[in-house]
Amino acid sequence: MLTWANFISQLFNGLALGALLALISSGLTIIYGTLGVLNLAHGAMFMLGGYAGYVAYQHSGSYIVAVIAGTLFLFIVGIVMERVIMRYFYKRPPEDQLLVTFGLSICFVELVRFFFSSMSKTVPAPKIFAGITNLGFMFYPTYRLAVVGIVAVALIVLFVVLYRTRLGLIVRAGIEDSVMVDSLGINVDRIFMLVFGIGAMAAGFAGIVNAPVVSIAPDMGEAILVQTFVVVVIGGVGSFPGAVLGGLIAGEIICITSMVNPAYAYVMLFAAMTLVLMIRPRGLLGVKGRE
Amino acid sequence: MKDDKLKDAGRRQVLKAGTLLGAGLAAPSLLLPETAFAAKHPPIGTWPAGSEGHTVYIGATVPRTGAYAVQGEDELKGMMLAVEHMNEGHPLMRKLAPRLKKGVLGKKVELLVSDSGAKPNNAVQDQQRFITENKIVLMTGSTSSAVAVALNKLAQREKVLYAVAISGSNDTTGKDCSRYSFRQCFYGQTAASAIGPVLIKNFGKNRKAAFMTPDYTYGHTVTKSVNDYLSAHGGWTMVTNQVSPLGTSDFSSYLTNIANSGAEFIINVNWGRDAVLSIQQAKQFGLTPKMGMVIPYQIPFLAKEVGPELVEGVYAATDFWWTLEDKYPLAKMFVEAFDKKYGYKPEWGANNAYMQFAIWARMVEEARTFYPPSVIKTYEKGETFDSTVGKVHFRAADHQLVRPVVIVRGKKPSDMRNKEDYWEVMEVVPGAPLMQKPDAFGCKLGDYT
Amino acid sequence: MNADRLGNTQRRFLVEALTAAALIAAPFVLPLFGAAPDTVNRILVWGMLGIGFDILFGYTGLLSFGQSALYGTGGMVSAYLLTRAGFPHVVLALLIGMIAGAVVGYLVGLIALRRTGIYFAMITVAIAEMFFFIEFNPLSHWTGGENGLPGVPAPSLYLGFTTLHFRAGWTLYPFLAFCYFVGIVIALRIVRSPVGAIFRAIRENPLRAEAVGHNIHGYKLAAFVIAAAYAGLAGGLLGVMQGFMPPDAFMFDTSGQLVMQTAIGGIGTLFGPLVGAGVWLFLQDFLQSTLNLGAAWKLVLGLAFVLLVFFLRHGLVGAARSVYGLATGRKAAAAAPEEQSPVDEDSAPAAESQATLAPVTLARHRASHSFSGPILQTRGLSKNYGGIAANVGIDFSVEPGELRGIIGPNGAGKSTFFKMLTCEVSPSAGTITFEGRDITGMNVTDVCQLGLTKSYQVNQLFNRLTVRENLIIAALAELRGKLKLDMMRSLSGIPGLEDQVRHTLELVNLSRRVDTPVAELAYGEKRRLEVGLALASSPSLLLLDEPLAGMSPRERIETVRLLKSIGRGRTMIIIDHDMASLFELAERVTVLQEGQVLAEGTPDEIKSNPEVQEAYLGGVHEAMAQ
Repeated sequence: MLTWANFISQLFNGLALGALLALISSGLTIIYGTLGVLNLAHGAMFMLGGYAGYVAYQHSGSYIVAVIAGTLFLFIVGIVMERVIMRYFYKRPPEDQLLVTFGLSICFVELVRFFFSSMSKTVPAPKIFAGITNLGFMFYPTYRLAVVGIVAVALIVLFVVLYRTRLGLIVRAGIEDSVMVDSLGINVDRIFMLVFGIGAMAAGFAGIVNAPVVSIAPDMGEAILVQTFVVVVIGGVGSFPGAVLGGLIAGEIICITSMVNPAYAYVMLFAAMTLVLMIRPRGLLGVKGRE
Repeated sequence: MKDDKLKDAGRRQVLKAGTLLGAGLAAPSLLLPETAFAAKHPPIGTWPAGSEGHTVYIGATVPRTGAYAVQGEDELKGMMLAVEHMNEGHPLMRKLAPRLKKGVLGKKVELLVSDSGAKPNNAVQDQQRFITENKIVLMTGSTSSAVAVALNKLAQREKVLYAVAISGSNDTTGKDCSRYSFRQCFYGQTAASAIGPVLIKNFGKNRKAAFMTPDYTYGHTVTKSVNDYLSAHGGWTMVTNQVSPLGTSDFSSYLTNIANSGAEFIINVNWGRDAVLSIQQAKQFGLTPKMGMVIPYQIPFLAKEVGPELVEGVYAATDFWWTLEDKYPLAKMFVEAFDKKYGYKPEWGANNAYMQFAIWARMVEEARTFYPPSVIKTYEKGETFDSTVGKVHFRAADHQLVRPVVIVRGKKPSDMRNKEDYWEVMEVVPGAPLMQKPDAFGCKLGDYT
Repeated sequence: MNADRLGNTQRRFLVEALTAAALIAAPFVLPLFGAAPDTVNRILVWGMLGIGFDILFGYTGLLSFGQSALYGTGGMVSAYLLTRAGFPHVVLALLIGMIAGAVVGYLVGLIALRRTGIYFAMITVAIAEMFFFIEFNPLSHWTGGENGLPGVPAPSLYLGFTTLHFRAGWTLYPFLAFCYFVGIVIALRIVRSPVGAIFRAIRENPLRAEAVGHNIHGYKLAAFVIAAAYAGLAGGLLGVMQGFMPPDAFMFDTSGQLVMQTAIGGIGTLFGPLVGAGVWLFLQDFLQSTLNLGAAWKLVLGLAFVLLVFFLRHGLVGAARSVYGLATGRKAAAAAPEEQSPVDEDSAPAAESQATLAPVTLARHRASHSFSGPILQTRGLSKNYGGIAANVGIDFSVEPGELRGIIGPNGAGKSTFFKMLTCEVSPSAGTITFEGRDITGMNVTDVCQLGLTKSYQVNQLFNRLTVRENLIIAALAELRGKLKLDMMRSLSGIPGLEDQVRHTLELVNLSRRVDTPVAELAYGEKRRLEVGLALASSPSLLLLDEPLAGMSPRERIETVRLLKSIGRGRTMIIIDHDMASLFELAERVTVLQEGQVLAEGTPDEIKSNPEVQEAYLGGVHEAMAQ
């Protein structure tokens, strides 16, 4: 129904959802932009972050410990995955990379199912954020508001790393032209490793931060994966600001469409992506060259 | 050497014949009717090939991965317990199928399991394989009505019996019914008719309800049944119907719409993980407990996954709840046996699966043959028998078991006597008055052969 | 059929015969391994779906996740006809379903193929998801929604004297096996045809395929439609096989499973999807029932898949072929080490004798166009990139038969100029006239077909193909025009192709390296092939972008000799930095600086031009000193 209250509420939902998508997509877009690897295991990484955080929460009872655990665990997973598997695939045709990451995503999901069963697990929101805030025109879960803030902080941190540090400079240069970076004598191997780790970390962080909103289950990464790709395409491959913008747009599209006809929300997202691809193929803020 | 072999072969032949003779003498009901049947009837489906040996096979396609994996594993446990009980002649099984001794018609029962991922295509594929390769005498398994309907059709085509597992859609014994299928559990129509009066009695007339419907047949039929009942008998209005695709993880937009709709109750038809998430998020958004939550078709493990705080005061219609052990002796036996084997109290999916197997065993034993048309006719006789929820019987016109619907309400966490005491049984509503007229949903059963 | 080899005319029907034999033997052999007829039938249907997908992906290089959409469309159309619409003929319904799939595929392709690479893949994902949604919701009345369409009948063939009824299990097998066989035979013809060769060229180097005169968009669309037709037919077969058309056929999962199975079996082998499906379905069953893994079966399958992708780069069929190749190829390699070694010293004397032969003219098959005046003329040609002016108002003309050189310091805009001439890049201002025709704003394919083409500064070859195959690709465009869908023709049936290729080989002195894959060539040989590719289009005007780049002094001498011999009877424009060589070759030289023409004249005039000397800051003197 189209009322003002509803509209504003949906805008807000879109913001919350969009912030999350933005964070996850940033991870994916950095990996793709720098390494040229389309990481189909990214959704599974999102899921793993949730579970790592869950385990940490079970042992510590602390939300902060859970978030740190989820993030760090995925950083390690990303690095290990890159070192052990991905680096052998850089010279291979791109479809091989797609296939191996796809296979890995299945392995991750089924491993989790094996150890944790298919039942959803809950990680409660921290006490300070539990409860509901009265926004006047509606009630909104306090934690979701907090998520917007938390994710915004994470995005800022990521921004600072990418745009204000030497490492970030090299990564961005690598996105533009990794061959050049290599010939400049910079240890590209280590950069690739770190990029994968950072990208995975972004997904993992999102996974545990989102756990109090959507309880975790082994399959939760699948839907996120497709949405993430759509965001990356809309925003522009390899572009961090593109991922943020794309995420927010995607979040809003999903929520505004749900206001009118929920069944079409997902399809609208795809239609938007196709439109962008037709009109401005490199995405809204895309870096040219990566195809 | 050769002579020895021949002698061995000869000896084996004699032994075989002797065993057969002995078995035949010991269990006249076993041998004679089958051969008599064989003389009269041509082969059909997997008969007589599937029951000629010492073992008969049942094909089960349940989701072990994917969306409904939790419920799938659970119903599988019910099946495995039933098979165990059939083979050892467990007292509970013997109460449900009195003629059973050990095994069904003396034959050992073995369960063949495959992961359907809740996809109709996989289920059909795997059952087809079981039929051709293993000559199964019975098919079972479903947590989604789509799978149930697909297997209904397969059963009719292949002439192999199908024991519907979980299926809530009216269509399964409605327009998509099949001569070869039988459903034990409750469904949209009966759920609506059972919970409707309870809601009206407790909350009064002319209330406003928001529906949350998953976008597929099960969802739409249940929503329609419930809405039809509440509006016709209690003047309730559906202020909004939020239809969400299967697998939705973020219900914020739907919940926001509901928040702005002026609803007093949320009638949540979502199933599986969709239900878990929508209920959790409804709480997050502060819609509940302010608005009453109603679950017309309960989900196994819901309370466990969302936690007792979230189901407190929630009304739900279900097929079975373990505290019925206080009311029905057979329920008590079942709950005990299940708890002993698996370490937790059974949910309704497991009970449903167990009952389907027990009923099938009963019918086959009564018919004294595996010959499908005879077994079907035995079901259709509509004889009343005892179950874990009291006296039940099958309705010949659409192969639906006429059985009560259990209305439960979530307990206050402080009232829980043990970890699993989530729901309080409010009413056990007798089934017959709840059901639609046999042809109301367009059921046309197929041929026997 | 290996995607890396074209038109194997030897042992012509060996593959078809083997396939037929295997299909006939299967019902007798496979049950010994415990295979159930339903599984075998299912594998055949997946195999059928995979043939089209392999042509699209393995041969043309287009990774599409949209096959499920077309599989489902064809399946639903034929199932609907056979169930709700009461259509009596199963085979006809299947064919209609196939056509429906092809038509829808065409429409989808028009949208999806506007982009390439990962974006193309993403659009196909979107399409797969959207089709599923549409089939599930708005069209559920026709498709049965999530219940699908039940009651699809089995086919029966009326043969006049008897009627063959195909039910389920082994009785249905002959029908499916026959369909698969027909499908494979057609597919083999397609990949052995010129169209198949061009598909492979598109996979290897779409840029070059376009530049040698092929309308690659048209061919890609053709590949897409072919894949869609196979998918549509396979969908119909699925419905017939199960007696029920499920909605899951439309799901994205189906496309994903298809990609995985093809990878397992071997991409670009046509049989890969069949083998992959066999392995997949077998493992699924084996892991669940025999090993009793329960829900962990998927984990084991996932691990197996990862290991397979890791170690077997070309899938199982590819691995089998490597083993076979190792066994037989060793002998062949041992037998002829001399001929295969890339020794440049040997080619020197050959090149000398080459130069003394009469010039070989390449046949030209396009209509000749008479004109008067310069063969190429540009007026005011400019190109701006953002704020940078790469070319500014260039007036340039070349007479027929001339050998023109273009020099200029770095950043002069030489390559940009060439790109505009071949219409790879459109000018910001100005006109280009070729043979009297205004070609400004045309595209590179059409321009090549008119007779203007270029050899590239950085080699743009079809890397996984052999020398012969590279030249075939270029020659095919010349012989057949920019788009011809002669899929049923074999390569050996193209008149004039052999000659064209042979003459080009002679021209660039690669006759002894005919069947060597590009990857094994020496750098100099690759450069010669690069020129050869341009030559095989029989251009009236040949542009050469730094043909001497990266060459050793000895290689330069040989290449200059080669270019001289090629230049006879042809108009050529050459860009290079090696002024000594260029002055030796060219009759006239144009000098560009900062996007503008600085000077033009004979080599001597240019050498002594003070402005040119200044532009090079003594570089000219150095070059002269050598």
